[in-house]
Amino acid sequence: MESEKSVLPVSFFELEPLAHWALATEQERMTARESSTWEELQTFYGAMMPRMTAIIEYLNRFPLNDMPADARRLLLMALSVVEVSIATELYRQPKSFNAFDRARIEIGENL
Amino acid sequence: MKTEIADKRWVKKYPELGTEPVSGVSCISADYFERERELIFRRSWLNVGTAWEIPEPGDYFVRELEVCNASILVMRGRDKQVRAFHNVCSHRGNKLVADGRGQCRGYLTCNFHSWSYDNNGQLKWVPDESNFHDLNRAEYGLTPVATEVWNGFVFINLDPNPREDLITYLDGVAERVKGGDFDKMALAQCCKFDEKANWKIGIDAQNEIYHVPFQHRYIIPDRFIVNEGNFTRIQDVTFFGRHSLYTCEMNPAHKPVPMEQLIAGLDRAPTRTRMPMTSEFDFYLIFPNFVLIFFRGANNDLCLTYNFWPLAVDRTMWEARTYLPPPANASERLVQEFICTRLRIVLDEDAAGHETVHAGMATRAKKNILFQDEEIQLRHFHKVVEDHVQLVEN
Repeated sequence: MESEKSVLPVSFFELEPLAHWALATEQERMTARESSTWEELQTFYGAMMPRMTAIIEYLNRFPLNDMPADARRLLLMALSVVEVSIATELYRQPKSFNAFDRARIEIGENL
Repeated sequence: MKTEIADKRWVKKYPELGTEPVSGVSCISADYFERERELIFRRSWLNVGTAWEIPEPGDYFVRELEVCNASILVMRGRDKQVRAFHNVCSHRGNKLVADGRGQCRGYLTCNFHSWSYDNNGQLKWVPDESNFHDLNRAEYGLTPVATEVWNGFVFINLDPNPREDLITYLDGVAERVKGGDFDKMALAQCCKFDEKANWKIGIDAQNEIYHVPFQHRYIIPDRFIVNEGNFTRIQDVTFFGRHSLYTCEMNPAHKPVPMEQLIAGLDRAPTRTRMPMTSEFDFYLIFPNFVLIFFRGANNDLCLTYNFWPLAVDRTMWEARTYLPPPANASERLVQEFICTRLRIVLDEDAAGHETVHAGMATRAKKNILFQDEEIQLRHFHKVVEDHVQLVEN
């Protein structure tokens, strides 16, 4: 078991400067993508993508709803990569085109 | 000029639907909308949620039905039965539950004078009861609303005497959608769009594939099969009374982006859910405003529902819910995130489009709208709406 005190599991320590991408909800991850610069998205995507297979392999050792805090953070970062790839792989800019008014959309898991 | 329909399959199968342009006035007329309220929404079976959300006795949710000026309380009783009631106290007509969802372990108590009801809707306690005049509590339970559950989907009908039960209403859809693993599904995501658009514009936009390679050219440019003249042809269109089904196949030549390749390569648990599908993509419009979609998944099939709740002639709350089996590990959680994020972008583009279509139609520059053969299910929908609304004149 890795230390609860470290931000990320030690084998992924080099990703710690990007730990602000450990966002709890889909809504937050979407907002982060849309409010980041193109360079910030590329930096995050570029650092995470080559490690994704190792990250998932590591995270699969834990029950999904009972992970140590550092592993949980890493999972949330992995979910953010899925979100960010919409920009880096498809739209080539932070926001998608022809988006609906953000003030009138609600995204959740229990609505 | 003669219309050439030699290769137009659907109008040959359903010639009664015709080929004429369709009036757009039904989407922008306030008078038409008032008739829809009375003649469609107050008399049809309406999906208001799922029984999965209220698994335990006493679990409840409230659904505000602005279109019918109703507030509906859906609750599981101590006998496990799901019932719907008007969310209104029998004493002075106060709204009983403020909003949302909850658990009624003992009683639901009115905030005004503490009249209390059990989870079967019976009036159980009235403060200072003997000071009322011959009050018989048995007569003053919550007002029941006709309720039926089908594959876990809760439907209500505001008609005090519905002219048909839900299974009769669903017609051939009930026969077709049978035996899926609905009980293994859980809500993975819900998106709600408060749209400045008529409810039928939203349904029309979702009820065809024609727009997909154009409106969704970045997010899903090649998801559906391309099989005739460079366009997607739907596999089948079937009408079941008021309801419709169209089916489509996915594109085997679809080119996955890197994230999709990563997701496709993840280890997953064996398949847990299969939906009762006839193709790889089944789209049911259950009249008037409920859509049930099944996607064939690599592992688990996906169930997606839409509820289009009219708020006004030019305002609709579009609710989209994605159901998947709960993820068991990080791999499955990432698969779920991939599905939900991509779907959200598609819906986001659709919702924006509903508004621009409404804005265009509201200018009244165009009297009619046109439907091609692959949009025949929209033609059917407009005809069913028109048939209901015409009743008022008879």
